Amino acid sequence: MNRSPALAVLVLAVFAASAGCTDTGSERTTLMVIPAGSLLAPLEDIEAAFESQHPEIDVRIEGHGSIQAIRQVTDLRREVDVVLVADASLIPDMMYLPMSEGEGNYTDWYVPFAGNEVVVAYTGRSAGADEITAENWYRVLSRPGVRVGFSNPMLDACGYRAIMVTALAEEHYGEPGLFEAVIGGSFNPPITAVRTDGITTIALPERMRPADEKVAVRDGSIYLLSLLDAGGIDYAFEYRSVAEEHGLRWIDLPPPINLGSAEHADDYRRVHVNLGFQRFRSIGSERIGQPIVYAMTVPRNAPHPDEARMFVDFVLDAFREGKAGWPDPVRPDPEAATVYHATD
Amino acid sequence: MSLVRRACLPLIPVLIGVLALAAGCTGTGSADDYPAWNLTLAGDQERVLTHPELRALPAAEGYGYSVSTVGIKYGPNRYRGVLLADLIEMAGGAGTDDLIYVSAEDGYLWVFDRDQVNGKEFFTFDENLREVTPPPLRVILAYEQDGKPLAYEDGGPLRLVVISENSDVITEGSSWVKWVDRIEVHRK
Repeated sequence: MNRSPALAVLVLAVFAASAGCTDTGSERTTLMVIPAGSLLAPLEDIEAAFESQHPEIDVRIEGHGSIQAIRQVTDLRREVDVVLVADASLIPDMMYLPMSEGEGNYTDWYVPFAGNEVVVAYTGRSAGADEITAENWYRVLSRPGVRVGFSNPMLDACGYRAIMVTALAEEHYGEPGLFEAVIGGSFNPPITAVRTDGITTIALPERMRPADEKVAVRDGSIYLLSLLDAGGIDYAFEYRSVAEEHGLRWIDLPPPINLGSAEHADDYRRVHVNLGFQRFRSIGSERIGQPIVYAMTVPRNAPHPDEARMFVDFVLDAFREGKAGWPDPVRPDPEAATVYHATD
Repeated sequence: MSLVRRACLPLIPVLIGVLALAAGCTGTGSADDYPAWNLTLAGDQERVLTHPELRALPAAEGYGYSVSTVGIKYGPNRYRGVLLADLIEMAGGAGTDDLIYVSAEDGYLWVFDRDQVNGKEFFTFDENLREVTPPPLRVILAYEQDGKPLAYEDGGPLRLVVISENSDVITEGSSWVKWVDRIEVHRK
């Protein structure tokens, strides 16, 4: 017996056994997709449908908050094929910048594909559940014994959007003190909505730690849903799609305050939230109200740009069809998807 | 000795070498593998601690198990490091209303209050991510995970970790700052 082939076989066998730690599917292309948390449920459906059409591609989904999703590419230098965020403006703000390694920007384009709106989610056991309506919701949430939850604005776009919606509501309904009654008064010192020259500004403290049990702040939406289930809170500010996906009841808020209407973009822009500190060196701490628009891009250094483009097209098609519990398609016209470039 | 055994004997050193190469993916290492890394402590005055100086301080150990904002769980693992409270004392201490800014090489910053430095005011979860009453918690600046130097991909050489005596207690990952290089006391 020739020893060389035996050696080769043994070495190959050892490498094969140890291959699990580097790549489990060498015959399939692994497509790394990083979506915002509120897209995880739709992306799971889309992943399955895409892989059934493209069995040669293994889609890996890793959810993060929108800013953290982008930072995987920029600050953390990971190789990512597709990034999908819940705030379209983050892509030009954080990715139309020169790459730290290589030539060109992290990306020069994005495509909006869905929208959403903030709602007040609740269950049949919530205090006031039998009387809350789209007309009186803010009065119910203002009651001292009614507990309200939202995600931490430092960590989740839905969190600072909850703050914006409540501040906009105070003006929309002409109810001075509404913001403090629902949210601000539960902090020490109270968080206030200050109006100057037509702009409402809310300055948040470094630590979003309520001083009483009326308000609950958690890291992300899933923890609020868990609290709602357990009766730890009565109402939570959530995206409409999240409330629908989880089978909750919800109150639709008027378009001038729900951050879901492009027609009211000018109204939304009048509310500013200053986060308590700059969590990331790569993005400032001021958030300005604007319509909620989901967008995606393929980073310039994506390892599989062709497959990534196929996936982007697939996501666009899937959202055009839509589904209960998903964010709404950004445009009803299936041919109207618009790609925004750095030069636009 | 059979033909097969005679053929395989010379291969043993080769196989050992191959296995050693492959072992790189499992993160083995010795105490000598700690990288060069400094921590700046800024309080009443500013001082820099080297990694060996940190490791020479009294250490605390416990289980750490975190969850991301979207529900991805990491752990449980066994961690060893220096109590954040001890480091704050070295920086001159913190008053009731003072805040602790913990920042990292990658530009990340998270802010703690004094209660948190002492392990209070954290939310804890069970395996199903239902909130549970927090057991005693401690916050450490960890340099070891499961008896090995904390790897860079896990947030090493220094990462803030919330530990407890129970391996099934999950804490919010937002406070688990990776790649910590500065701890600063902000006076109020």
